[in-house]
Amino acid sequence: MRRYQATLLIELKEGILDPQGRAVEGVLKDLGHPVESVRVGKVLEIVFPAETLLQAEEKAKELGQILANPVMETWTLEALKEVP
Amino acid sequence: MKWAIIRFPGSNCDEDARFALKKAGMEARFVWHTERELKGFDGVFLPGGFSYGDYLRAGALAAKSPVMEAVRRFAQEGRYVIGVCNGFQILTEAGLLPGALLANLNLHFTCKEVGVRVERTDLPFTQLYGKGQVLRLPIAHAEGRYYADEDTLARLEGEGRVVFRYAPLKGEGDYNPNGSLNDIAGIVNEKGNVLGMMPHPERAVDEILGNTDGLPFFLGMVKEVAR
Repeated sequence: MRRYQATLLIELKEGILDPQGRAVEGVLKDLGHPVESVRVGKVLEIVFPAETLLQAEEKAKELGQILANPVMETWTLEALKEVP
Repeated sequence: MKWAIIRFPGSNCDEDARFALKKAGMEARFVWHTERELKGFDGVFLPGGFSYGDYLRAGALAAKSPVMEAVRRFAQEGRYVIGVCNGFQILTEAGLLPGALLANLNLHFTCKEVGVRVERTDLPFTQLYGKGQVLRLPIAHAEGRYYADEDTLARLEGEGRVVFRYAPLKGEGDYNPNGSLNDIAGIVNEKGNVLGMMPHPERAVDEILGNTDGLPFFLGMVKEVAR
C-alpha cells in the first residue's frame, strides 16, 4: 500500500481570544516589527497508508475531525502528498 | 455509595479524590482508563491531573480512552459523573458537557485559593451549602478559561446550569482567576447528574490542611443516596 503524509493545521476559531498570540505579538512589537496581529495554531504531520490519493484525502479529513475540537477550533488540510 | 475513580496516565488527584470520598463515608475504587465496563458503581469521578501530559489539548486524548464510552453510557443512565479540573476538561472534550476550557488569560499555571459562589443548592453535591454562599477552594490549572458560544452560554444561564461561579473573597478585586466567561467555575448537564468544575473540593476536606469548605460537597452526595 502507498504511504501518504497529511499536514493538518488546527487554529483557534476567529473571535476567540488567543493570549499566546497576543504575547508573541507584544514581543514582535517590542523588537520593532509593526505587526497587526498574531495567532498561534498547531500543525500535525501524519503519515498513514492508503490505496489512492482520494482515499488518503478522505482519511485525512476524518483525522481532522477527530483531532480538532469544533467548540473552539477549526482545522484545514494544508497539504497531502505521497511519501516513499 | 461506591465510586469509580478513573485513572489516566498523568492523573494526579486520584488519591485526593479517594481520601475525600472515603472521609464522607463512601467507597471508592480506582479504574484504569483502558477498562470498558463500569459495573457495580454508583458514581464516576474523573480526577484532576495532566492526562497525556495535556498534549494536543488538555483532556483531549483522555476523552478518547476506552473507558469514556462506558462513562458516556453511565451518564446516560442518569448516574453521577463528576469531573474536577482535568476531569472537567475531559468531560467537555468528550462532549458530555458543553463548551471548552482554554488557556488562562494570563497564560500562567495558577495555583491558589479562590472564592467560589454556590449558585444552586438543589443538587446532591451542593445541597449542604447555602445559596449564594462563597466557598474558599483551591484551583491549580493552566487551562481553565471557560468558553462557550453565545447561544450555549445563554442556554446554560437560562436553565440555571451554572452551579459554581468565581466570586470575590473578602477585599479581593480581581477575582476571576482565568478569564472564564460569566465567571463560570462549574456547570452541570440538563439532567443534573454530570458535573464539571475547575476548583478542587477534594483538596479542601481536612482540618489539618486548614480548609474544609469542600467537605459538604461530598457529604451531600451521601445524603442523596440515603433519601
